[in-house]
Amino acid sequence: MSPGDVWYLIIGNPVLNVLVALSHILGGSFGLAIIVLTVIIRLISWPLTKRQLNSTKALQDMQPKIQELQKKYGKNQQKLQQEMMKLYKEAGVNPLGCLWPMLIQFPIWIALYQAIMRALATTPENLLDLAQRLYSWDIVSQAIPLNSHFLGLDLGSQGNLILAIIVGGTMWVQQKMTQAPAVDPRQESTSRMMLLMMPLMFGFLTLMFPSGLALYWAVSNIIGIITQYFVTGGWGYLKFRSPFQSTPVKGK
Amino acid sequence: MKQPKTLFLVAIALLPLVLVSCISSGASVPRGWAGTVVHDGIIYAGTRDGRVVAINSSTQSQQWDYAFTSTAIYTTPIVDGDLVYVGTYSGQVYALTIARGIERWVYPRTGSIGAIVGTPVVANETIYVSSSDGRVYALDTIYGDLKWKSEPLAEKLWTSPVIQGDTLYVSTFDGHIYALSMETGELLGWSFESEAGFASSPVIYGDTIFLGSFDRHLYAVTIGSNVSMWKFPQEKPAGNWFWASPIVNEGIVYAGCLDSKLYAIEAKTGEKLWEFDAGNPIVSSPVLMDNLLIVAAESGNVYVINPETGSSEQIQDPLSSNSNAPSINAQIRAPFCAYEGLIYIRAEDNQLYVVDIDMRAVIWKVSLTTK
Repeated sequence: MSPGDVWYLIIGNPVLNVLVALSHILGGSFGLAIIVLTVIIRLISWPLTKRQLNSTKALQDMQPKIQELQKKYGKNQQKLQQEMMKLYKEAGVNPLGCLWPMLIQFPIWIALYQAIMRALATTPENLLDLAQRLYSWDIVSQAIPLNSHFLGLDLGSQGNLILAIIVGGTMWVQQKMTQAPAVDPRQESTSRMMLLMMPLMFGFLTLMFPSGLALYWAVSNIIGIITQYFVTGGWGYLKFRSPFQSTPVKGK
Repeated sequence: MKQPKTLFLVAIALLPLVLVSCISSGASVPRGWAGTVVHDGIIYAGTRDGRVVAINSSTQSQQWDYAFTSTAIYTTPIVDGDLVYVGTYSGQVYALTIARGIERWVYPRTGSIGAIVGTPVVANETIYVSSSDGRVYALDTIYGDLKWKSEPLAEKLWTSPVIQGDTLYVSTFDGHIYALSMETGELLGWSFESEAGFASSPVIYGDTIFLGSFDRHLYAVTIGSNVSMWKFPQEKPAGNWFWASPIVNEGIVYAGCLDSKLYAIEAKTGEKLWEFDAGNPIVSSPVLMDNLLIVAAESGNVYVINPETGSSEQIQDPLSSNSNAPSINAQIRAPFCAYEGLIYIRAEDNQLYVVDIDMRAVIWKVSLTTK
């Protein structure tokens, strides 16, 4: 069995069949099926999401202490790293803990991308291939072929600008809510760039991928914003204006 | 410190893109699976590189070829009079001369009517074409002028229309069979609706329509009735879709299924007479010749079957030293045709294979890739 076969057996085909079955349950709406699947995925990954939010919050709370360490051991990078790791350990925080939920979602994104492309069967070859990947559930066979239209979107087509703006915008809001304010103008410049980079990148990816996947990203971001609002208690740093915003950065 | 962090985030953001590139997206490029037709000793076939070729069966050489611009061909060429007709995935219908492959007309002259997947039918100097825009088009065979186009019947039509009397019957992916006037294209009073979509093109025998469905059943529908006469299998569904159109002969329906089996079914009752396991999905419709049934599995194996008993013999490839080798060392998806004791199969390796049924062997093959 090739790695590709294992992938489809364990992840690809289950996601495809669940998506098709959901589509039938939801009255033949493939778009609604994507939204419901997104909610299910977010619920399954909730323990990880909660850990990420707690890590983010803990890291924010530790910022003053980290600043102190940077001032104290700024010239000795090795010592600084050691002290920072010690600080993280004492606080029970993993600095990379906030990345795991994102990494865990990668296989889901890929499986969903493949499921959307396969389920919509835009070419005759795709439709024939779909026959070999569907389970013999009545609920699945009754759903085929799927309707690719949802709220004026063709979920199988690429290049939807409005969706790209929504995906980029919601991602920016989500990041802005958690990003701690900068303590100096140089850090402010880096923070601003990072805050813009991910939303721009995902907005760009939205233009390259089918609208169905972009719908998943948009809904996932919105759920992320709502979750963050309730877990961290408010809009976080969304409305915070940095005092260095108008300060020109040295060296530029 | 900041730069590596930024680079790390860029890498994280790009990772899904890289992974998606590494793993197959599942979206395949349309290549087409046009079948073959033989007329006056000339074989006409659509190729996987978007051409129609004419091959002299005596000399096994190409007479001519006609290349369409960047498109796939799913429709089997149709010969009528001195013209051969082909519908393309780019949504145009071409009429070429059978003698030299010169374009006589194209419809529409500019633009497209939507991808053509189902093979058109010709009758009464009219070619009837189902299109991915959901409409059926009727074109004059001599000049290519539009006679009529139907109202949209479905989101898309990928199946072939079928004619009986002065009526055109069309099956749709959303589970309808529509009856249209051949003269005007208007919907007639009767239509049939099923819970599941229809995967195959309809076939008419007597006053009954037979066709496969996405719910893994073969349906028999009496024209004029709102309920199906029977569904096969009667108890639990088959292992997969009935993708290929069935054929009917002397009251027996022979239906190939993507579950690898060929079923012989009593046309009146829907009872199974026998089944044959081809070991691989059956994508192409079976054909009957000299009271023998020929069926091809997608894997390349071709079988000659006794239509009364279901007993089978596998076609051999005499050029292969391996006795377990498939009849043809390539996938078979295109419809194939039978003519004077020979079977003409265009396989997915873009070669044309000619099988002698008496010898139970492939007797010659020719590449369709180059002239």
